[in-house]
Formats: sequence, structure tokens, C-alpha cells
Amino acid sequence: MTRTMAHSLNIISKQQQWDFKLWSLYDSRYDLMSEYLAKENFVGFGRSKMKLALDTISKGRKADILILSHINLALIGVIVKILNPKCKIWLVAHGIEVWRPLSFLKTSFLKKFCNQIICVSNFTKHQMIKWHNVDSSKCVVLNNVIDPFIIHPEEFEKPEYLLNRYSLTAENQVIFTLTRLASSEQYKGYELVIKAISHLKEKFSGLKYILAGQYDATEETRIKDLISSYNVKNEVILTGFLSERELADYFLLADLFVLPSKKEGFGIVFIEALSCGLPVICGNADGSVDAIRNGELGTAINVNDQDELEKTISSYLRSPLTVKTRHKLQQQCLQYFNENDYQQNLLRLIKDEPAA
Amino acid sequence: MCRIAGIVSKRSSLQETREKVIKMCHALEHGGPDDEGIYSDENSGLVFGHRRLSIIDLSKNGHQPMSDVQNKVWITFNGEIYNYLDLKEKLVSLGARFNSNTDTEVIIQAYLHWGMSSFSKLRGIFAFGLYDTEKKRTYLVRDSSGVKPLYYHIEDTELSFASEVRALKKAGIATEADKSWQVRFLAYGHIPEPYTTQKDVFSLPKGEFLCWDHKKDTFEIHSYHVANSPAKIYDVQEARELIRTGLTRAVERQLVADAPIGVFLSGGTDSSIITLLANQHQLAQLKTISIFFNEKAYDERMYQNLVLEEIKGEKYAHLVRQEDFEEFLPQIIGDMDMPTTDGINTWFISRFAHQDGLKAVLSGVGADELFGGYPSFSRIKFLKKLRQFPPVSFSAARLFSSDKYRKISFLTYNHPIADYLLLRGHYSPTDIADILNMDLGEVEDILFNNKSITKIKNYNEEDAAWLELNLYMQNQLLRDTDVMGMSHGLEVRVPFLDEDFKAIAERISIDIRFDENQPKKLLIDSFNNLLPRAVWDRSKMGFTFPLQQWMREHHEINNENSYHGKRARKIVKDFKKNTMHWSKVFALYQIQRYV
Repeated sequence: MTRTMAHSLNIISKQQQWDFKLWSLYDSRYDLMSEYLAKENFVGFGRSKMKLALDTISKGRKADILILSHINLALIGVIVKILNPKCKIWLVAHGIEVWRPLSFLKTSFLKKFCNQIICVSNFTKHQMIKWHNVDSSKCVVLNNVIDPFIIHPEEFEKPEYLLNRYSLTAENQVIFTLTRLASSEQYKGYELVIKAISHLKEKFSGLKYILAGQYDATEETRIKDLISSYNVKNEVILTGFLSERELADYFLLADLFVLPSKKEGFGIVFIEALSCGLPVICGNADGSVDAIRNGELGTAINVNDQDELEKTISSYLRSPLTVKTRHKLQQQCLQYFNENDYQQNLLRLIKDEPAA
Repeated sequence: MCRIAGIVSKRSSLQETREKVIKMCHALEHGGPDDEGIYSDENSGLVFGHRRLSIIDLSKNGHQPMSDVQNKVWITFNGEIYNYLDLKEKLVSLGARFNSNTDTEVIIQAYLHWGMSSFSKLRGIFAFGLYDTEKKRTYLVRDSSGVKPLYYHIEDTELSFASEVRALKKAGIATEADKSWQVRFLAYGHIPEPYTTQKDVFSLPKGEFLCWDHKKDTFEIHSYHVANSPAKIYDVQEARELIRTGLTRAVERQLVADAPIGVFLSGGTDSSIITLLANQHQLAQLKTISIFFNEKAYDERMYQNLVLEEIKGEKYAHLVRQEDFEEFLPQIIGDMDMPTTDGINTWFISRFAHQDGLKAVLSGVGADELFGGYPSFSRIKFLKKLRQFPPVSFSAARLFSSDKYRKISFLTYNHPIADYLLLRGHYSPTDIADILNMDLGEVEDILFNNKSITKIKNYNEEDAAWLELNLYMQNQLLRDTDVMGMSHGLEVRVPFLDEDFKAIAERISIDIRFDENQPKKLLIDSFNNLLPRAVWDRSKMGFTFPLQQWMREHHEINNENSYHGKRARKIVKDFKKNTMHWSKVFALYQIQRYV
């Protein structure tokens, strides 16, 4: 999402003749994707924290607004504010990185040094207030939007090459989950889906579950054990890492996207699925509800209720979406989560104008 | 076998397109001396060209481009499908009818019956263009080991493709050079895929296909692999048995040919195994081709003879002398298609194989990569230790005067290509900037802007195998082998890279697949009853040309005054003092024409 934000900020800055620079701690300059940002606007520090800190401090003196994309950069915000009190400091609050107790430095930063907190969802905003007692007027909700360089399909046929890759036919109904499968992050809820498949496979013959995303060795073993213990070896397909250029095609291959996660800040993957006309099921106790516009675009379920999950999946599978409804879903999603509106909102925030 | 070319264009008239394809075919004649064919389709603005080297079904029935009886599908095909008889049998049972004994026709029928899922059923070395007249699509497809080349160029609504880059150049399709090729060439010693010397000409990735939609003039590129994650092999006995049966089968099916076929025998482990296995299967007698030199230290005849004593058939041994090298060097460079620092050996051996009446030979390429035959397999662990230091710690390395140590400066770049170049590269970025008189930043941008390569995580033998197979072997060995073989109308087949055999090797758990003390131990142990001990158990270096000496005494290569720039001249001086490897000077020698 940071690259979409950078792209938007760059466009706004060009229009307004402002100077804009994106500095990235973890990327090196070889990681820049030139379609998002020109070379001259980007500096990659390739993990050199010291250099980033020094450069930010020396150049931060001239900045009018400094946007920190992660709470871990709080120290830089504090120093820049001390050296250059006129500089407005913004923080982007995503998800779990701020829904927990923070160090003294970070909480002081939130309260005393930070001028505005961009929360990616209403849920994140409430969490900021709940955990850190941040003034609610400081928090602005700015939902994530669809990446401007993702291509939105016009036809909704299942891609033939992917059917071939997994030995499927167009008749196979496909449930799809895309997430990082990390042994350290046990809240994504795909084990609930694996269990659900073991019950649903009797009712829906030819049902497949594609569980995609990079996994570590520990998680691979755990998932494979789960698959055999639920006896769903023939139904579950583990793909590993998916390349970005094939992502939209996987959304087309699927009939339903399910990620009953407990801790999504916003859940950009939901709007990506929706932008390909793919219906989604998400959890009801995190930022995901913003992504489905409180139920308008998808269904939020209680992630502790296995039965509810299975019933909801069943109802989607029983009445598959027509091409027309998929197209409609796509249009609705693009209407709510497009970069154009995002740019307008950002510009309004920078200029400190009230919402229209 | 063969060379292919084609264009899909709505911009030019069909006549113009035909003329271009004919020009491409002429540029490819050396790789297909037996026949030429052109097919064109007015409605789609499509022209396919083909130069044939006949190996299977030598009759007129093998003429290409070829179609089915109803002309639904047209193909121009380069390569061999080793399992074509199995597929043919299956297709016949599904009702397919065949008019020839060619493997080409099997690809057509397989596509008609199974659509694009037919691609993953093919076992072999191949590159083809296939035009589906009903769906209005053209597919370009390349084998999963990347043995056969396929280059494409897309400009607006026009797609062009050919087996060699020179064809696209000669037909005036891609005349502008890629400004970055010299940087890549000096770093790698070849031009790595997907890049070429020409702007906007790319190599199609192995195991992938390009689908051109004639209705929309758009294209997509995807992998055609069928996803599966087979169980690992942990038992050493089971691994050996699978290697034995797998390689035996691969050799057996690669001996399919209606034209004379032979084996390259260097005297090393890999080609000896292939020769001995081929000897067990060949109904007609096996022909072996080997090379020897007057230079004593390079003479491998003792090891070659150990294997030759075991086999029947005609044995051709050829002497390559320094004079031959000097006489043929200009021709070798001309045949390269793109600059490379390897391939001289394959050029000579292919020439002899051709003279001895062969049209196809088996080679041992691939074993070192799959079973750990290179020093990189042990060096990568050292690299792992170095990678634990912050990259910046190595920036001073570029100041070293010794060329060997300057390469350490690759560690300042946190990029998998830097890992590879440290293990296998020629010149460091600082040297390249000096030689080409460029800004260092520019050189770095060219070398490290490739995001498609996944990061190395474990720095173990499996990662080394990945780098060797996908970079060194792919970009250097296989490309050079194909282009040098084809310059003499010779097809080089590589049983170690048989899809099924490679899959077996990659299933074997890392602990038993590689041995710290003995390179390729598992492979050698698998064939210990077949392979004479002296072939693998020796202290002497393996088969290699005496190029250090020959190039040092070559009056053009060793003449520093014919090189541009101080840095280049210094390198040549070092080479004459014998402190520089010939391949680095050979790279410089080749770019002099362009600097």
C-alpha cells in the first residue's frame, strides 16, 4: 500500500508543484518500481538505519510534512519535530503494529509530536484511542485503495492456464485464500477453512480449496498435518508464493475468497479480490469490515463460529455469482476504493480542508 | 533439430511480412540445411518459417510448417519430443489419425485433443510456434529445461520470433542494440536471459509459453507446469535406484532417431556414464566422438580409452591443435550469435561430429549442476558466513589491486545476482565502469535491476544448484551448446536434463544428494558397477581446452595496443604475465569492436 500512497503523493506534488521524496529503509535503490515513482523521488537505504536517521534529520529540517509509514520510525519523527517544530508529522497506522501497548518513546510520539494519524480503517482508529488514549480528532480514517497498476479483468472466465496447472475444470468450485502462512502469525484463520472443507466436500462435489502464500517450514508441516488429519488431501491445494502478475488470474479462478482472520488492519487483499469481481468472506472483529463496507460488498462472520463459516460458504457455493453480478461487484469496489478519490482525500488532508 | 522463425503483424502487408520471414530463414540456414518451408495466413497477417534438419521421419512427410488434415492448427517446431510414441499411442486411442511418423504431428494432435494442457505432457527439448486458426491465438512454447532457444520481439501490434537473435537483426526487425549488453557481458561472461544484444528482444523463459491473441493484439506469458509437490526421498538406497532407472530411461528415450546419433565423450564422469548407458541400449552400434590435444597436461585419452574399451561401435578421436584454434577463431566468433566466453570446445566437437556423419549427439551437461560438481557448492557456505556482515563492510574491497579480491565488493550489494556474480562472475562493477568508461551507478543499475529473481535464503547446496542450473547452465552452457551445435547442423541432447530425471534429482533430500568431501558422490555411487574407478577417482583436472596458452600466444588477443582504454590494456598485460584468466581477456577481445 505504501507504493500506492507514494504514487498518489507524487501525482499530487507534481500538480501542486511541491517537492516529494520517498525514503525507504528496507528497500535498496534497485527495488524501486519505476511505474510508481521516478528515480529522483526515491532513496533506498537498504537497511542502513543510521544513514536513514542522519539523512532524515539533516533534510527533515526543510520539510513541511513528514509522513512516517510505520510506528517504528517514531524516533525520527521526534527528532525532526524538535529540530523543525513547524514540520507536520503524520503517521500511518495500519494494524496490529499499533493495537498493543507501545514503548514510552512511541506513546509520547503519538501524543506530543505527531500531528495527524492516518488510520487505514475505523477499527484501527478505535484501537488507537483505546490503547493509547490518542485524541480522536488527531485520527483520520483513510481506507486503503486498489493499486493503480493492477489490471481489472473485463471478462470473468476462469483462466485456462491455471485450470491446467492444477488439473481442474471450469466445473470445479474453488475457494481461495491468499495470505502469508507464518508460524508466528496464528490468526489468519485458514485452519477453520481447512476444517470446513472436510465437511463441505460431501455436499459440493469437485470442491477445491486453494491456500496460497509463502510459508515457512514449520507452518508447512503444520498445515500438511492438518490436511491429512481432516482427510482433505484431494481438496486442498497449497501453491506457495504467487507472482504478482498472476494474482488477478487466481481471483478469476476462484468462486469465493475466504480469510476469516482476526487481526487485519484493513485487509487490502479483500478489495483486490472484489476488484476482480470475487465475493469475499472475512472476519467481523477487525479492520476487514471497512474493506467490505460493513457488509455491502461481502460477508463478515464471527471467526470463532465454525458453523457460521460453513453455512456462509455453503450459501455462496449454492448460488454462484453470474458474470453480471461479478461485474457489478467489481464496479462497486472500484467506486469506493479508487486511487483518484484517495488522492483527493490526501490533498484535502495536506491542505487541511474540511471533507466535502 | 531445425530452426524456426515467424511474424504476426497487422502493420505490414503479408508480402512484406513474408519477405522478412524468408530473410530470417536464410539467416538460420546453418541449423536447418535439409529443407525450408513458409506458411502464411492473410487474415491474421501471420507468417511462419522453418529450416529443417531431419532426424525423425526423414521423408517429405516431415516438411514444416505443418498442419492437421483440416488445417485447424499450424506449427513451426524446433527440437525433439522423446515421448512422442507414448503420446501417439494415447492419442490414437482417443481417435486421432496420423499421416506421418513425425513427432511434430504428435504435438499438433496433442494440442487438438488437450488444448494448452498438452504442453506439459511433452518430454523433450523444444521450441515451437503454434497457430490455432479457430481460436485466433498463436502460442510460442519453450521446453522446461530451456535447452532449445526462442527469442521474441514485440512492438505495438507486431510479434516476431526466431531461434537466433541474428535472424531478427538480419530481417531488420530488431536492429537497435540494447545499451546494457556490454555491462552484462563483462559481468557474466555471457548475456544472461532474458536479455540479448538487441533492444526489446527477449528470450522466452523455459517452461513458459507466450499466448498472442490475434483479436486483441495482446499477449500473456505463463508457466505451463502442472503443480505438484512430490514427497522427498530420504533413503540413499532408494535414491540410487531411482537415479539408475531414471537416467537409463532418459538415455534410452533420447536415442530415438532415424538419423545417425552418437555421444560426446570427454573422459569425465558425466559423459562416461552417458556413453556406457547408451552402449547398453543402442541397437545399431554407438558412435563416440572425443577430442585430444598435443599439450600433454590436457590429454585425456587415458580416461577416454578406459571407457572406450568397454563399448562397441565406431570411435572417432580428433586432434585439435593451436593452429586450428587460430584458423577457426573468426568463424567461431561469427557463429556465436551473441558474445560468449564459452562454446569454443562445443564448436570443435560439433564440427567433428558433423564430419563423422552424425546429426545428433548425447552430452553430459547437467550432472554437475544437479549433483554438486562445482566448487560453488562448497563456496556458497562460506558466502553464507560473509552475508552475516552488513553489506557496507565490503565496500573497501573495490580498492584491492588484485582482481580476485576485488570481486568481494559484490557483497556490498544485497541481491541474489551479486551472490551469483561473486561465485561465477568475470569483472566487478568498478572494473566494468572503468573498462566501458561509465558511471559506477549506471553499471549497478543495469546489473541489479532484475527483480524477478528470488532471494537466496539458506545458502546451502540446494541454493547453489539453483544458481548453477538457472543462471550458469541456462545462460552459458545450454545456449552455447545449442548455437554452436546448430552452426554445424548438429543437435546436442542432454539426458541429465530429462524432465523426469531432473524431477527425481530434485526430490532427493539435500543430506544425501550432496557430499561435502566428494563432488557428485551420489551419482558416482549409483553407477559404481558401470563406471571405471579411475575415471572419477583422480587428482588430475578434467577435460578442458588449453585456451590459456593458446590465447596468450594469439597475436591479436595478446596485443594490448589493439584494445581501447588504459584499464583494458592493463588487463591484457596481466594476462600475458599469466595472472589473469583467458575468459576475461576473451570477453574484452570480443567487445573491442563495439567500444
